[in-house]
Amino acid sequence: MIYFDNSATTFVSDSVRAALQELTEDSVSANPGALHKLGNRAIEVYEGIRKETAELLGARPEEIFFTSCATESANTAIKGYMSRNKRAGNAVISTRTEHKATLECLEYLAKLGYEIRYLKVGMDGKPVPESLEEELSKGDVALACFTLVNNETGAVLPFENISKTIRAKSPSTVIYLDCVQALGKMPINLSTLGADMCSFSGHKIHSIKGNGVLYVKKGVRIDPLILGGGQQDGMRSGTQSPVLAGAFLAALKEVTTGIDESREKIAEINAYLRKELSSRGAKILSPDDALPYVLNVSFEGFESETMLHCLEIYDIFVSTVSACSAKQKKVSYVLLEMGVDRKTAANAVRLSFSRHNTMDEAVEFIKCVDEIYDQFLVK
Amino acid sequence: MGNVLLARMGEITLKGLNRGAFEIQLKSNLKYRLKKFGDLKIYQSQSRIWIEPKEEDNPNFVSMASAEEIMKAVCQVFGIVSVSLARKFEGDFESVKENAFACVRELLDANPGYKTFKVESKRGNKTFPMTSPEICEELGYLILQNFPELTVKVKNPDFILNVEIRESNYIYSGKMMAHRGLPVGTCAKGMLLLSGGIDSPVAGFMMASRGMPLDAVYFHSYPYTSDLAKQKVIDLAKIVSGYSGRMTLHVVNFTQIQLDLYKHSPQDMLTVTMRRVMLQIAERLALKNDCKCLITGESLGQVASQTMEAIAATNEVVKMPILRPLIGLDKQATCDISRDIGAFETSILPYEDCCTVFVAKHPKTHPHPEDIIEAEKDLDIEMLVESGVAGTEDIVINPFD
Repeated sequence: MIYFDNSATTFVSDSVRAALQELTEDSVSANPGALHKLGNRAIEVYEGIRKETAELLGARPEEIFFTSCATESANTAIKGYMSRNKRAGNAVISTRTEHKATLECLEYLAKLGYEIRYLKVGMDGKPVPESLEEELSKGDVALACFTLVNNETGAVLPFENISKTIRAKSPSTVIYLDCVQALGKMPINLSTLGADMCSFSGHKIHSIKGNGVLYVKKGVRIDPLILGGGQQDGMRSGTQSPVLAGAFLAALKEVTTGIDESREKIAEINAYLRKELSSRGAKILSPDDALPYVLNVSFEGFESETMLHCLEIYDIFVSTVSACSAKQKKVSYVLLEMGVDRKTAANAVRLSFSRHNTMDEAVEFIKCVDEIYDQFLVK
Repeated sequence: MGNVLLARMGEITLKGLNRGAFEIQLKSNLKYRLKKFGDLKIYQSQSRIWIEPKEEDNPNFVSMASAEEIMKAVCQVFGIVSVSLARKFEGDFESVKENAFACVRELLDANPGYKTFKVESKRGNKTFPMTSPEICEELGYLILQNFPELTVKVKNPDFILNVEIRESNYIYSGKMMAHRGLPVGTCAKGMLLLSGGIDSPVAGFMMASRGMPLDAVYFHSYPYTSDLAKQKVIDLAKIVSGYSGRMTLHVVNFTQIQLDLYKHSPQDMLTVTMRRVMLQIAERLALKNDCKCLITGESLGQVASQTMEAIAATNEVVKMPILRPLIGLDKQATCDISRDIGAFETSILPYEDCCTVFVAKHPKTHPHPEDIIEAEKDLDIEMLVESGVAGTEDIVINPFD
């Protein structure tokens, strides 16, 4: 089996399995809010996990909140900030190439009367700098929402420049950054990154599904999305789960070591695939400077789903557009926004890698593509 | 709470000497359909079919909900017109009165808005000392006295209380409408061409309603269509089989055939040549499986392949009759039936079915015979048809698994 669908989800790593085993022992399974010593033990373990997670991300423990997924993190950050800071401004800037978790929150805000200003996006998947300056100059911008690495194309946001521009032109604007696809694939240090709120997902880094992280920089105030017993400093009520938090941490530990080596290896695989696929007439839609972990490619003569099923015959697994909405049978809005024509976008397939993929797999992939062209191409 | 279901038969009662055969089939279908509800006594008397729980110590159905579920199942059996949940009891007018009161009380509890009623009665047992009009009058009077919130209304009352005096006495109110038709199994089997769309399941339903058992054939073009599309067809077959009974779904591996057709016939004729091959494969599968006809969901003029010329072009390749129950039906009417039989939501799921990938931009809507000869001149049709029949996977669809 060749699994090139790691941006959709990843397989659970052994260290995560071990953490799950360990953290489901009776001795750490009491309610972290309980007053007895079993409860004390549980909260101690939980806070330990939070502290270590914070350290690995370059944050303070009190800036880290465990959620059920990155979508929850995005909802809490975007809706929570606007709800709490009603006088911060009436506008939000973003792009139309964000993940649905962001876009739907922005749609929601638009319905409440906020003005959403979408920046123009270039063929390279990046917001056009002039567009950013123009929208900022109109003023009243409370929040800016961006994605560090686009989930469909791997386009990397020039975040340093963007945050500098925002800080210079509109110092009061708070920045939310979706870091889901970047985590473990490029170094992230939240203390220097320049974002005020960030979201992370566990299952994209070899943890299980059901755990995410929200980072909220100290001093940024937001309303919680989930109300209840006031756990996690009231930011995210609901009994804390040392198991889920521990699974996230175990995965995080693994993916934050050897980032550069892994990236180098994947860059080689990516370059090889780009070269081989281009020479066969396939069109590479990921920008040249994209993160090598994602390769969006359009196979002429094959509708996205057809290519997906052709590859499936060879036990190779990829995605069409983004897996979350693959059943809606629509062309990728991200590609269309980048200026890719509809027909090319309709044939787009996303290959996405993890650090565990190998060159041998890439070679095998190309061999299978050749067979697929021979057997199934409809001209 | 009733203790017996009363199911009415429709068209069967118009049958002559062969009526018995239809009734036997109907009872057998009911037994099969209701098997999963446990031990039920199903018997016929006086043009009615009666369904009762068998256990003597449990004279009522387990609960109202289970009675309703059984009624719904009965309504899926063709040959039944309607079904009511009734109280069955013995005795004189005093017991009729008691049961009527209990029934009215239950009705008012469930429907507090009810204000008007009338009583209707039938007396089959002529030894009962009161006539039907007398029963209506007396019972109506007593109900009025006991339930002061009610008044009598002869036209369009909120509810009608039915009293039937037969070998036993019965009281019920209201009925659930069924799909009528003739019992499945009273005519020969048909082969339904089933796609993932709205029309073909409705076509199958309609033929089954005339007593026809079904097999179905689906043309699968993996990897051009996903296995989700196939699963959708299996789900649709299961929905249809809820009415038609157990069927075999023949899944033809159509990929290679479709590729050959694509390579060797002109683009604008592809739909016609493809359908001609499909029908021939379906006919051979029909012969192998003891089916006497093919059934399609075609509706005149709906799409390019359903013009009169295109239908003629596909019709001529098979000898078997092709039944097209939707041929004169408006799309909206088909959708209404689809919703009614519970297939619509499944039919509109988005997975590509085999028609969408290989569709020509401008298919020929009025193919002439010479176009067809030209289109098929480079094709070994016999080989394609045989390979289709050989590469078929049979899936047994059991509606009540």
